[in-house]
Amino acid sequence: MVKARHRTFGEKLFGLVNASALCLFALAALLPLIVSVSTSLSSKLAVDTNQVFLWPVQFTFDSWKYIVFRPDLWRSFGLTLASTLIGTALALLVTALLAYPLSKKEFKLGGVIMAAVIVTMIFKAPIVPYFLTVREIGLFNNPLVLVLPHIVSAYCLAIMRTFFKQFPHELEEAAKMDGCGYFRILFRIILPSSTAVLATLGLLYGVVIWNQYQTPLLFLQDQSLFPLQMKIKQFIVDGNELPILAAKAVVNYNERTLRAATVIFAIVPVVLVYPYLQKYFVKGAMLGSVKG
Amino acid sequence: MAIPGVLYFLVFKYIPLTGSVIAFQDYSVFKGFWASDWVGFKHFEKLWAYPGFHRIFWNTIILGGLRLILTFPIPILLALMLNELRIAYLKKSIQTALYIPHFFSWVIIAGITFDLLGYHGLFNQVRGWFGYEPILVMQMEDYFRPVYILTSIWKEAGFGTIIYLAAITGIDPSLYESATMDGASRFAQIRYVTVPLLLPTILTLFLLDIGSFLDLGFDQIYNLLTPMTYRVGDVIDTYVYRTGIQQAQYSFTTAVGLFQSVIGFVLVYVFNRSARRTEGGLW
Repeated sequence: MVKARHRTFGEKLFGLVNASALCLFALAALLPLIVSVSTSLSSKLAVDTNQVFLWPVQFTFDSWKYIVFRPDLWRSFGLTLASTLIGTALALLVTALLAYPLSKKEFKLGGVIMAAVIVTMIFKAPIVPYFLTVREIGLFNNPLVLVLPHIVSAYCLAIMRTFFKQFPHELEEAAKMDGCGYFRILFRIILPSSTAVLATLGLLYGVVIWNQYQTPLLFLQDQSLFPLQMKIKQFIVDGNELPILAAKAVVNYNERTLRAATVIFAIVPVVLVYPYLQKYFVKGAMLGSVKG
Repeated sequence: MAIPGVLYFLVFKYIPLTGSVIAFQDYSVFKGFWASDWVGFKHFEKLWAYPGFHRIFWNTIILGGLRLILTFPIPILLALMLNELRIAYLKKSIQTALYIPHFFSWVIIAGITFDLLGYHGLFNQVRGWFGYEPILVMQMEDYFRPVYILTSIWKEAGFGTIIYLAAITGIDPSLYESATMDGASRFAQIRYVTVPLLLPTILTLFLLDIGSFLDLGFDQIYNLLTPMTYRVGDVIDTYVYRTGIQQAQYSFTTAVGLFQSVIGFVLVYVFNRSARRTEGGLW
């Protein structure tokens, strides 16, 4: 940027207005979260009488104590965490195993398979036959349904294939000379030097699995198998999930403070890992403009 | 090596796709996808005659259209504004605040929305300051569409700026230098350098968005919907879930789904082709 020229008054004013407007938007984006945090940390009385706004009133951890001691919530949390970790690893593995041969010209079926993959991107099967198929193969009320339907995305496959295509051939040729097979080349040479793309795609897969709602809604009926999002939904809509709050109850929470605490409970892990993932999702969003 | 991936596409994509034939059958769980009795276009005729279908079809179109028109420009404006912000730490904090809702599930977003707009929520508190009675926003038909749009913006508008900011970063700095030499103000630089050079990106993304405008997002609608707002908010996806899966009307709702898939296919195909001509489509 050339900074030699003085900024005119109009430009300074514009800069100020622009910065203030953006701050306002950022606050607006965070406001609902702030309200939820304050609600979850306020007393029953304060919430009932509409005193809570941006900060907790009559500060108490009672709602949180209740939430943290609900074993079923932790069980759902564990299930979601495990399915996200296992699912992401498996997804990256299966995607790489398919993307690698597809990136090779000598793989004769490659063209056909890639075309078939692209067809699935533009023509989506209706949900009912999908439901019937997945139920038929035994994934109904089976926790594997949290993982298996997400192990390849056509979009991620296309990105990884493009990446493998650009991989320097000399290294592969040298490895082949030394008697390495395709598997060894993929696992010893290509994947170790693809960590950036793996992290980016892993983040895309991970977010999908962590946040998934439709799949468990379709296939999981057994409450002990509910992942976190399903559990949260139960807390939010189904009054029976929450304790019956008698008028004489000595506890200092109500439905609203508990709901707010549950929602924040589900957000905390995301907020905690967010700073570490920031650089990867920026890359991920930009990969969107890469042609498959 | 390719086998697990190929199997995935066969089982999770192609078998359900061929299973769409049950739209032309009276599907029986015992006979399966191919052996059930064929009934031709019976379900499609029923569909056209069914007034409820017209309603959910138009709801789908209206919500998709509103979202396309109202949410599309926002990331562009935000990206231009962020680009003008020269204070690095402020810019980074604002970006973080705008990006983070993207990573929350719709259950969370809807949960917070219900609380904010509930009887004791922030919205009614603010109404109270001005002397208005509290209202149950989420149960009112008039508010469903605005809530749908606003939650879409809240969750995705910030994240959508990334791609535009990347495109702006890619603009040759010498263009700005020469513009400055010619005495162009910051406004003029936005108007005559940034925006024209962003246009191909904008056009491509717009075409891709039109192509997928029937994908309203099941999670979002399902979690925001209440029985009181079905008349304006019930869309094909939610209807198919309730009638097809929950009430086991498999063949009829497959016909509904197939209808949507075919329209979706035409849209995606046509607009991706056009997008490819401008810069780059999905394939």
